[in-house]
Amino acid sequence: MASSPSPRRAVIIGGNRLPFARANGAYVGASNQDMLTAALDGLVARFGLQGERLGAVAAGAVLKHSRDFNLSRESVLGTALDPSTPAYDVQMACATGLEAIGSLADKIKLGQIESGIGGGVDTISDAPIALSDGARAGMLALGRARSLKDRMAAVASLRPRDLAPSAPGTNEPRTGLSMGEHQALTTQRWGITREAQDELAAASHRNLAAAYDRGFFDDLLTPYRGLSKDNNLRADSTVDKLAKLKPAFGKHLGDEASMTAGNSTPLTDGASAVLLGSEAFAAEHSLPVLADFVDYELGAVDFVSGEEGLLMAPAYAVPRLLARNGLSLQDFDFYEIHEAFAGTVLSTLKAWEDPEFCSERLGLDAPLGSIDRSKLNVAGSSLAAGHPFAATGGRIVATLAKLLHEKGSGRGLISVCAAGGQGVVAILEAR
Amino acid sequence: MRETLSAKPRLGALYASAAPRALRRVREVSPDRLPRREAFVEGVRCRPEQLVAYQRLMGDTVRDELPSVLMHGLGFPLALWLLSRPDFPLPLLGLVHLRNEVRHLRPVRPDEVLSVSASAEELRAHHAGTTVTVRTRLFVGEEPVWEGLSLYLAKGVRLAGIEVPPAPRREPLVPPATTARWRLDASTGRRFAAVLGDYNPIHLSALSAKALGLKAPIAHGMYLAGRALAQCAPHGRGYAWEIEFATPVFLPGTVEVNRSSGPGGVVRFSGWNQRSLKPHFAGAVSRL
Repeated sequence: MASSPSPRRAVIIGGNRLPFARANGAYVGASNQDMLTAALDGLVARFGLQGERLGAVAAGAVLKHSRDFNLSRESVLGTALDPSTPAYDVQMACATGLEAIGSLADKIKLGQIESGIGGGVDTISDAPIALSDGARAGMLALGRARSLKDRMAAVASLRPRDLAPSAPGTNEPRTGLSMGEHQALTTQRWGITREAQDELAAASHRNLAAAYDRGFFDDLLTPYRGLSKDNNLRADSTVDKLAKLKPAFGKHLGDEASMTAGNSTPLTDGASAVLLGSEAFAAEHSLPVLADFVDYELGAVDFVSGEEGLLMAPAYAVPRLLARNGLSLQDFDFYEIHEAFAGTVLSTLKAWEDPEFCSERLGLDAPLGSIDRSKLNVAGSSLAAGHPFAATGGRIVATLAKLLHEKGSGRGLISVCAAGGQGVVAILEAR
Repeated sequence: MRETLSAKPRLGALYASAAPRALRRVREVSPDRLPRREAFVEGVRCRPEQLVAYQRLMGDTVRDELPSVLMHGLGFPLALWLLSRPDFPLPLLGLVHLRNEVRHLRPVRPDEVLSVSASAEELRAHHAGTTVTVRTRLFVGEEPVWEGLSLYLAKGVRLAGIEVPPAPRREPLVPPATTARWRLDASTGRRFAAVLGDYNPIHLSALSAKALGLKAPIAHGMYLAGRALAQCAPHGRGYAWEIEFATPVFLPGTVEVNRSSGPGGVVRFSGWNQRSLKPHFAGAVSRL
């Protein structure tokens, strides 16, 4: 299939996010709903959508309280939007935000809705802590109990160890390895050096700082709880400083361990939202059009069997997306590859350059090839900004749409990896 | 000679009955000392709550199919009954579990009623002692659904008149890539015992393990096999699997695990200790 016929375009009008805050810092006490509401309200205010009924709001969080089953809808009810705006939750690990935005773009293209807001939020500082399975089983049994004897048996089934709460971790449930440990395996498999990772991390800080300096984020951020800038940003970060950090993941690799707290994303709190619409919606409301949301593609890999690295799904999804749109990897002016870890970005790029990987794993006649590294994450990415899981997609889409609009022409490629061996990739085009 | 038991024996009682004889020191057995006896019991069922508890413990999905290691567990009391007969020549307590080979012939539903047959088959000389093979078979009616061979070692027991084979050279372990990591807490042995009833003291607590000469409690071999199969075994069809145990997993402890797919749909798995670079186990699963 050379191209997917699209009945009409879905355009990106603008975005808004809260400054991302390192976990257990500035945003302690703020819930997912609080932060998502703040990000949505900032967007509504920026584009004068108060009282407007939008087609849909789609958002989600990775770490979610069970009471937040309707997180997006509850957040919408707290905003200035018309309460008759429907909303639904999306959850696809770190790809939540991009999947939410992509699903809205599809609805717009199909003519089902005229407008929508997609985004995401996450907080480590207000993470759900659950009862242990043992305590839960005992209490559920107590709820079902009809007689005194049953109730006593349910209570008696509780053991002291059941009282220890269970906090969400970043370990993959099927492998018991943390995301960092998984990436350490991939980083080693692709022979990514410590120096290359530290350089990418330093560039991320440098680029994000420069973008703030030139006011790039002025119309992409709403200050929140005293922050007006991502507080993980180290404008003075250098390769030399990063080289002093000790390995944090893959320590069993000894001298080969290369992943540190500096070239891995920190745990972060934050929220983001992106406004999309049909061209008619933008025109009727006299709203700007930054970019077209051209197409997007989901991917997943078998990491449980060890066949592929946990965070390598985008390496497989991108060639499919390129083929469907008749494009090559070099046909882009900007590349936004989510920096879960510097090693993730570099492993993905190296895989696309590798003839064996491209032929055997991707089934291509020739490698996808290299990219012009000066076009990569030019306004910084997650290593500098932080990565509140579900909020990253919205940060990237809004940033890239604005970069494309500034340039006035060209295309951008987005790649976001996610837990569970998944990923979402997308193409935007300048307007 | 077939001896039909009226009910499945209870493991706790068997261990208790074996305890006094644990003091008896056996130095040598004659190769023909193994009694020719097949133990048989009917009406063996898996309780629904036992199945769920097993699946939860192994990180498996709760589905209406009996996992292969759980079926081993259903047959195990009969095997242990055999090994605890007064005329069984090797001491039960202290037997080391070396390997298993299983043919899980078809999926078995939890409501199917099983018969179990067990027999001790062969004494063989081993460089560290004498091994015995226990054959266990599970049937639904007349149809065999599960067949397994378990190899156990009685350390320090010589097989009379047979030359002791040399110890195989163990190549130093070059660990493969870690594809999973199991963090096993101190209660792992107790939790497995609670599900399958195997309250062998070497698995339960620091104190009970020390009493039997171990520095710490060790994970049940079948727990390790169950964890591996929960990841590697197919569902809805028959399969064969095997596992070989090298060094024990002390509790609490961390096991590095590799899983890799080979030709013909064979999935291999292995576990080792990253610090000491000692192998714990290795095995394979293939479709039937």
